[in-house]
Parts: sequence; C-alpha cells; structure tokens
Amino acid sequence: MDDKQTVLDILQDLTGEDFSDNLDEDLFASALLDSMGTVQLLLDLQDKLGVQAPVSEFDRNEWNTPAKIIAKVEAAK
Amino acid sequence: MSKHLIQVIDDYAETKGDQVAYAYDGEQYTYTELKAYSDALAEHIDAMNLPLGQPIIIFGGKSFSMIVAFLAAVKSGHAYIPVDINSPKERLEMINQIAKPVAVIATEELPTQLADIPEINAKQLEQICLEKVDYHLTHPITGDQTYYIIFTSGTTGIPKGVEISYNNLISFVDWIVGDEFKLPADLQMLQQPAYSFDLSVMSLYPTLYQGGTLHVLSKKTTDNFIVLFTALRTMPINVWVSTPSFVDICLLEPTFDEAHYPKLQNFLFCGEELTHKTAAALKKRFPDAHIFNTYGPTESTVAITEIEITNEVLDEYERLPIGYVKPAMNARVVDENGSYITDGKKGELVIYGANVSKGYINNPEKNAKAFFKIGDQQAYRTGDIVTMAPDGLLRYFGRKDFQIKLNGFRIELEDVSALVSKEEHVKQAVVVPKYNSQHTVSMLIAYVVPAVHHFKTNLELTAAIKKNLAGDMMNYMIPQKIVYQKSLPLSSNGKVDIKAVITAVNSQ
Repeated sequence: MDDKQTVLDILQDLTGEDFSDNLDEDLFASALLDSMGTVQLLLDLQDKLGVQAPVSEFDRNEWNTPAKIIAKVEAAK
Repeated sequence: MSKHLIQVIDDYAETKGDQVAYAYDGEQYTYTELKAYSDALAEHIDAMNLPLGQPIIIFGGKSFSMIVAFLAAVKSGHAYIPVDINSPKERLEMINQIAKPVAVIATEELPTQLADIPEINAKQLEQICLEKVDYHLTHPITGDQTYYIIFTSGTTGIPKGVEISYNNLISFVDWIVGDEFKLPADLQMLQQPAYSFDLSVMSLYPTLYQGGTLHVLSKKTTDNFIVLFTALRTMPINVWVSTPSFVDICLLEPTFDEAHYPKLQNFLFCGEELTHKTAAALKKRFPDAHIFNTYGPTESTVAITEIEITNEVLDEYERLPIGYVKPAMNARVVDENGSYITDGKKGELVIYGANVSKGYINNPEKNAKAFFKIGDQQAYRTGDIVTMAPDGLLRYFGRKDFQIKLNGFRIELEDVSALVSKEEHVKQAVVVPKYNSQHTVSMLIAYVVPAVHHFKTNLELTAAIKKNLAGDMMNYMIPQKIVYQKSLPLSSNGKVDIKAVITAVNSQ
C-alpha cells in the first residue's frame, strides 16, 4: 500500500471520514481532529510509516489538511 | 485553617506583595494586584445591592481577571459559577435558567445576552479594577455557604450544578498542602484545565493559599504543540497538575524529562484514570519525582483519595489503584441492595464526610437519588464500581451507569445521545465510547440513522451535523466519529440498545 493510502486510512480511522476526494479539507477548522486526535495521528504515523514528527516542532498550521500530511510523510521518507 | 482563606490570600499583598501570583501568556500579576483588583470589584458588587448568598456567573477563559472575579464574588458574599469561554449559547442559557444567578461578570464577550440580570462586561471590569478602594472583609462566603458551583453533564441534555461550600473547599485545600503530597514550600504550579472543570481547583487554591505562583496554559497554547512546548520550557514549575491525557501529549516529546525540567518534583493527576502505561513512562522520565494518582467526583470537591505511584506500586498492579481516602472522608462499598460489602468484592463506592457537596443547585429530584445522610454526615453515591482492601486501598473497575471520562471530561452517554438525536439531520442516534487497551476512552463514536438530506457526501453531512452540535454542547462532548447506519439495535423495551453497541464497537 502506498503512503498516501496509509495516511488516508489513518485519518479515516480517526475521524470516520474518507478524504480521498477532499484532500484540502481543514481538519482542525472543521473540528475533525482535536488535540488528542492529533496525538493519535502522530503515533499512527510513527507506527505505520516510521515517520517521526517531533511533537515540540509540530505546528498544526503545517499539518492541517490531508494533502499537507501526505506531503510531510513523503518528504520524511 | 483558622484564618479565612481569602484573608490568607489578601495578607500576601502585605507580606510579599511583589510575589507573582499569576503568570499567563507572558504577563505576570502580583499578590498586590490580586488584592487591589478583587477589592475594587468586591466593593462594586456590594454597591449593586444584590441579594446576598446568590450566585454570580463568571464567564471567560484563563485570564487573570477570571480569578480576580472569583475572589471578588466570594469577598462580596456570593458563590460563583465559572463558565468557560468555549461554552455554546445553549449551555450558558441553561445554566442561567437552572442556577438563577443575580449577576454575570463577562471577562470575555458573552455568546448571548442574559435577560433580567445585570452584566459587568470586560471593559467595565477593567475600569472597576483600577479604582483604589479601602475594602474591609466583612461578609465573605464562609462555613456551609456555597463557594462555587460547577456544572457537569446531566443525563438528559440538562447540566447539573454541583454546589461546593467554603467548608468543602477548605477540607480539600488543607489536605493538598498537608504532609501527604510532599509539595515544596514555594509552590510553582501548572494550571492546565479550564476553570469550568474542577481539576482547576487543585492548582488554584492550594497555590494562592501558600502564596505561590500559578503558571497558566491557555487553550490556544495547548492546542498547538509547537507553542505548547515553547511555553512549557520557559515555566519554572515544580508541581504538575493535569489530566493524564495531557501528560500523554507531553510524553510524546523526548525532552520532557528530569534533565530538561529539573525543578519538577511532583505530579498530581486527577480527572480520569491514570493508566499504568502513562505512569510507568513518566516514572522513567522523572525517576526522582513524586507521582500521585488521585480520584474524586466533582460532587466531593476535586479529589478524595490519593496514592503515590512508586516503582513498587507499578510492579504490583497492572491497573493502578486510586488510593486511600483522605482524612475527614470515609468510604463504603455497597451491593445492589445497599448492603455494605466487607469481603473485598466489587460494589458501588459510597463516600461521606467533609468534602461532600450539599447537592445540585435547584435539582431536588437528582439530589434525592445521589445524596443522603450517613449519621449526620453528607453522603454521595458515586456510581463508580470499586473494591476496598482491608487496609482501605481502593481500586476502580468502571461505572454502574453510562457515564464516561474522555480526556478528563465527564460525559453522560445518554446526555450526548439525546443532544445528537435532536440535531435536524439525525433521525436516531446513539453515542458510544471506543476504549483502548488501557481501559480508557480514546474517542466517542456516534451511530446515526440520518434523516432525509440533500448532501452529496457523508463528509458534508458530518460537517453539517458537527457544526450544529457545536451550538448545543461543549466541544469535548461532540463525537469524533459519525458512522451512518440504516437502523440501530433495539433492546426489549424498544429503546436503542446502548450496551449492545458498546460491545460491538469494542470487540472489533
């Protein structure tokens, strides 16, 4: 499975939503993700993709849409 | 405590007036300012000639003016009701109807005007606080008078206001600053939760009573992790008070440890179950710190049990105990018939003594169910299932009803289900918790049978439902996930079978 699909699966598991056609949805503005949801997102990215996102450098304005998260994951690889 | 709590706090303005009482978002406020502002506001409230003993709503976030208003209300003989800035209009209106306050102090703009009661808005408040007055403390809230009222989730969409008296509060504060918690004399305490959540009282009054400093995290800070960690690194805190969920966020950061926070000596947790996983991870990062698990419903003034989580406790228990009951409080475990269980088996925890609230404000029906007397002491049925060891050690095993804790917030599932079912796009709904391997709730999931709608996708439907829910309930009550179904399982009495849904969700 490619990274993009894995990210979409993680997000679907956390929010119940399929973002395949809504990659630019703002996850925080629409209250789809709260801070505990964000924590789970970071843990899942680490577990399933080996992507380390240091929480102290986590600026949520850079991670607020599925597209941005996918770009971060691809850049980290 | 023989001197009045408020007098003790006021006296610091004389003995160490320049000491910082409140550090918030880069601003610092001293004990001199705390006394001057709260005196001026108390004098203003006195001049309004409000009926004494009647509560005042205090609305806002975490700013210094919130605690100024709390102290001013108490000085002028009024209980206060803290209402968080993130509360929707509906909730504020319901609290107003139930508690019948005589005034509202809005440190931030209200989402709706409250009819028939005077309001002091933020601008007026600023002016009032600058007045120089010579205030004499003659009629503060004292004894069994209600000191604060905190509203929690009800079971039918209507919140319940827990009345905590001056005596309840003092019993709690005396215990926290006593020998058991080994707190440093110069208290530099973290203030994390909103003031509408009673965990905030665990930092607020012990710190002010000791003349220490509250280091306050705003919601804006905690929401964005990069801002949060920048802020935390600059705070000279020596006592940490938070929900376990909040420290879980901090533990994600590898530098959250003794080497980077050498002053941190104590951790106090309350508000939800402290899991073994969290405590063990924290003990590894801070091997020399004292980590305490505490437990208590809002109805018994923040917390009534404690246990230090040492390496021995971690070795002995897979699920951590909630501890031993504090002095002036007592615990009994009862079976379904109300008989005492003495052989260590599971039953409902009943607590009685100095910390127990007089009841929910203007709610005789719920009071009759939850509160009663044991001898001449006020008693409360917690709804928590526990065991008690011969030495008094209490262990928690879950709830009798459908109340859950999510990130420290207390939520009645029936309450949330009722509110979601009323949403216009929803025909029928049930809201259930998803548990993780540590027995804690990781999210709320709503199973919804949608009404006829015009949305093209479920994402749009979900966004519309969540938007409407935000107007009716606190943010933390809104289900993270909505799953659409054609029908919901019913139990024999024709109601949605919530137990069946909980089992199904958690067996996947």
